[in-house]
Amino acid sequence: MPDQCELTTTKRGMAPCGVGLVLYVTMLSGALLAADNKRSEKTFEAAPNPRITLSNMIGQVLVRGWDKSQVHIVYSVVSPHVEVDTEVIPPTQPADKIHLATHLLDPLVSGKDQTADYDLDVPMGTDLEIWNPQGSIRIEKLQADDASVESVGGAILVSDFTGHLFLRSVGGNIEVIRPAGRVEAYSITGSLHFVSPTTSKLRGTTTSGRILFEGDFADGGDYSLSEYSGDMEILCPPSASFELNAKTVRGKLENEMPMTIRHRSATPVSSANSFFGTHLTGKATVNLTSFSGTIRIRQR
Amino acid sequence: MKETGQQRSPACYQFELELEAYLEGEKGAFVPAHIRECAYCNVILGDLEALRSASRAMPLEEPSAAVWSNIRAQLVTSGAFAERVSFWNWFEELNFLHRLVPATAFACLLLLGCLVTVPRTHLQQDTASGPSGPPGKTAVRSMAFIGDIAALERVVRELEEAFRAREASLAPDLKATYENGLSSLDVSIRECSDSLQREPGNSLAHEYLLAAYSQKAQVLSSALELGEGR
Repeated sequence: MPDQCELTTTKRGMAPCGVGLVLYVTMLSGALLAADNKRSEKTFEAAPNPRITLSNMIGQVLVRGWDKSQVHIVYSVVSPHVEVDTEVIPPTQPADKIHLATHLLDPLVSGKDQTADYDLDVPMGTDLEIWNPQGSIRIEKLQADDASVESVGGAILVSDFTGHLFLRSVGGNIEVIRPAGRVEAYSITGSLHFVSPTTSKLRGTTTSGRILFEGDFADGGDYSLSEYSGDMEILCPPSASFELNAKTVRGKLENEMPMTIRHRSATPVSSANSFFGTHLTGKATVNLTSFSGTIRIRQR
Repeated sequence: MKETGQQRSPACYQFELELEAYLEGEKGAFVPAHIRECAYCNVILGDLEALRSASRAMPLEEPSAAVWSNIRAQLVTSGAFAERVSFWNWFEELNFLHRLVPATAFACLLLLGCLVTVPRTHLQQDTASGPSGPPGKTAVRSMAFIGDIAALERVVRELEEAFRAREASLAPDLKATYENGLSSLDVSIRECSDSLQREPGNSLAHEYLLAAYSQKAQVLSSALELGEGR
């Protein structure tokens, strides 16, 4: 196919150098160890704003945006009983959709043998849907309409992404650096870390993890962070203009920003500790809630 | 005689038997005649028709590509993909309705989703009318009973039982992660429930309790889906 190329490199049968028995044995052992490590590389022409879905089990997934209109995929599997299925739609035209899925050829393969690592370069405008339950997911420098990224135990790191981000991991930490676009991040035991967002809508929830927000709030932005028992820390510059509604049932509120207390919440929460005030002109809206953790608002 | 929910007559059981055919278009005389006599069955029919029309108005949601990819992979592995099969052949092979766990999980999540997305005012109004109040006209009203935390707990418990029955099929690392998450949510459910017992008007504790149940249902559903080979 002229617009698609595929290069599969399988490390098999390395020749002995013949400089000595020890070296020979060493190389032979290396060859045998590497025999199952299969690395493949594929490149597809992509239509504008393609959609890529990736379903993996264990392994690292890295996606980077680039200026080309091609999707470049490199993946490697540990076991010959693990295969990566690539489906391109339409098959003979610039791709509107690319589906990547890791699957087992032998159901008895388990543990780390199920590993597949992916490294993707994708055009700007590529929408992503990634499911990698036992591995980390990293996305760098990409503009898109949306990206949906889910793991169970793996960490998720997204940096310099423009567009709607939906991130979820049951136990993994989630870190979002310089997002521009709506952000939704959910974890149960993992922590959430937001760094310098320029987004105007951000929602983060974790049950027992920590939340750390470092950055300013966009004018008119809407930020909602909630955790159950972990601590939450907001570090913002003195120039941040926001209206704060912070509530905790059994936790503590520690505010170091000079705030104007406007009035108590319209629906007081019984014994809850709550704070409602504005910093400067209150251009952004910031809602922080915790059940038993400590909420700290500090100046950077 | 006017029948109520507490006093089901043989006619009500006959109504249940004929209901499915009636909803599928068989316009027998019994169902229309019975609902004129029985307010309870009339509400059930009204609710089902409301649900049906609401579901028709909903957009069709395509399952995630990951679901299809893994199903396809399983079919390839089992040799069922020797020749290209149509979507409907696929669907028959999936035998989805016989896979009770994901179907139940889906139904529970749908129910839970309805509950947490229905404005609280609707539920509170209906709960306030109590079980002895006049039967409502809409599906939402008939679902008011699950506003009761106990009903929510039951939904989650059913999902958890399904999870416990299948947890052995999960990889140890995954199982441990799910266990940690569930244990964390159990703590929050227990503490929120305690708070609400002490302070029934604590709206924030109530919100946390609902959120914890909803998250637990999502975690369990995710684990069940994974166990089924997402």
